[in-house]
Amino acid sequence: MAALDAPRADPVVRCENVTKYFGAVRALRDVSLGLHGGEVACLVGENGAGKSTLVKILTGIHQPDTGKLWIDGQLQNHLTPQRARAAGVEAVFQDLALCNNLDAVANIVLGQEPLRFRLGPLRLVDRRESLAIATRIIDDIGVKLDNLTTPVRRLSGGQRQGVAIARAMVRGHKLLLFDEPTAALSLRQKLSTLDLIRRVAEQRVAVVMITHNLDDIFSIGDRVIVVRLGRVTMDERVPDVTQQDVITHMVGSPDARLA
Amino acid sequence: MSMHQERSPAADGEVSRFGNLKTLARTAVQKHVRNLSLLIAVVVAVTIVSAERPTYLSYSNFLVVGLQMSFVAIAALGMTALIISGYIDLSIGSMFGLAAVVSAILARDGWPAVLAILAAIALTGAIGFLNGLLVWRISISPIIITLGSLTLIRGVVYLLTHGFAITGVPDSFGGFGQAKPLGVPMPVAIFVILAPVTAFILNRTTIGRYIFAIGGNREASQALGLPVRRLVLATFAVNGLLVGLAATLASSRYVGADPNFGVGMELDVITAVILGGVAFSGGEGGIAGVVLAVLLLGVINSGIISMGIDPFYANVIKGAVLIIAVAVDQLVHEQRERYQRSMAMRDAREEELGLA
Repeated sequence: MAALDAPRADPVVRCENVTKYFGAVRALRDVSLGLHGGEVACLVGENGAGKSTLVKILTGIHQPDTGKLWIDGQLQNHLTPQRARAAGVEAVFQDLALCNNLDAVANIVLGQEPLRFRLGPLRLVDRRESLAIATRIIDDIGVKLDNLTTPVRRLSGGQRQGVAIARAMVRGHKLLLFDEPTAALSLRQKLSTLDLIRRVAEQRVAVVMITHNLDDIFSIGDRVIVVRLGRVTMDERVPDVTQQDVITHMVGSPDARLA
Repeated sequence: MSMHQERSPAADGEVSRFGNLKTLARTAVQKHVRNLSLLIAVVVAVTIVSAERPTYLSYSNFLVVGLQMSFVAIAALGMTALIISGYIDLSIGSMFGLAAVVSAILARDGWPAVLAILAAIALTGAIGFLNGLLVWRISISPIIITLGSLTLIRGVVYLLTHGFAITGVPDSFGGFGQAKPLGVPMPVAIFVILAPVTAFILNRTTIGRYIFAIGGNREASQALGLPVRRLVLATFAVNGLLVGLAATLASSRYVGADPNFGVGMELDVITAVILGGVAFSGGEGGIAGVVLAVLLLGVINSGIISMGIDPFYANVIKGAVLIIAVAVDQLVHEQRERYQRSMAMRDAREEELGLA
């Protein structure tokens, strides 16, 4: 980890010696990482290497068997999905999980609606403020949307990705995890999504992107973390490595070549 | 659209954010197309009937038609919310019969009218909640589960009454259903108050927003931490309460109840809700459309009688109207899908040309 020695701000999320077993299988062993605001960390590795387990630990879905996890300097003894979310950690999964019948604004603020007033269980949604929040986030990350008030069902794949990312930004202001965000997109949509992710990081959010695509790493990644057989086998700044280095660490053999 | 245009969102300015006028207009028309066509249908139907019977179009006749439809209309408010959330309760016809009969029996047996009515409403509220609990716990179609409740509850109604109407209820029991605040029959007055309240809750509050969200994508709503289970159960319970309210208005108005009260009512209510533009699959619709649909069904019912046509034609026409409405909807929907596909294809072609 020599490349990360340079003096810098404290990590937004830090884990130390995290180990996770599933039955007798050790999915993660002694993983130690610090994730920094403003940085896009690409998490790569073969299927079953432990990428998903790591993401699920960071989002509170799984608890580590041993090891420690800090979010914003706070030691998290028993991180649940609710606590992770409350702490500002959010994941954008491949299926996006949007409500297709609602418009972009409603989707972006869903569950976090600004209120005009509350009367018992009746809480009046502040629609003007909702629009302002959605517009601000969309502007911050530069999502291109033709119409904020049309059901998101009618938006293109790339625009829907933008809505999902904007929604995650409302909640996940510390750490945003992307699970193969470019897998199901056309070339043009892929480029604009990578642009979006870059701009999310520019909002001082720590970004972790799981990807199978080495091009993604070299186009927007600041840092590449390779996981193999549950261990972090490489954690370097992107400019310091070549594609060949990444592949070698992924498959564990110096003989592997680009296909 | 080239990449470099996408990279400079500022250049697109406000126009693209809120959509250009054409897109905005199209969205507005699409949003209200059902309500507009219902409104036109009501106007056409009223025009036809009053051309034949000039006395038809009067305030007093409006109240008569309103009274006829008010029980279905009140029940339709709860059903609208329930279907928007992606659920349904078929047992409302039997719940209606049960609440009517139970309130009449209690009043006959000496309960004060207010308590008899509140007890019956609470009972159907509890039954609605129970239906919700069953539907939530047993992940089978709510249609099947509440079909069971429909039959079961009607059986209970017949057991309670031995198949005979409940009579001998004191006149004081009629005070609620027969009252005419400001000259408007109580069932109509209650609907006139409840309809905008329901619309307000559905359109403006988080509860309404989440009901739409659940109907649109329940898994996503749960994953986002919305109180999905609590809201679904509450919607079932409120649906039951509204059915109980409609039923006790009826039993009070007639100062008694018949075990056949509410038979087939679930079909009238669901017809009104679907005709009003609520998607059977959930997530779409609103109270305004349902109110217009109830009005249209009322005009069809009463108009046929006013014009001296065999009243059995009413069902033929109502059924046909429902089929036409959903068929047109589906065709418009398919058209839109085709349009979107062609747009996507165009984008893909442009992309190839622009980036190759």
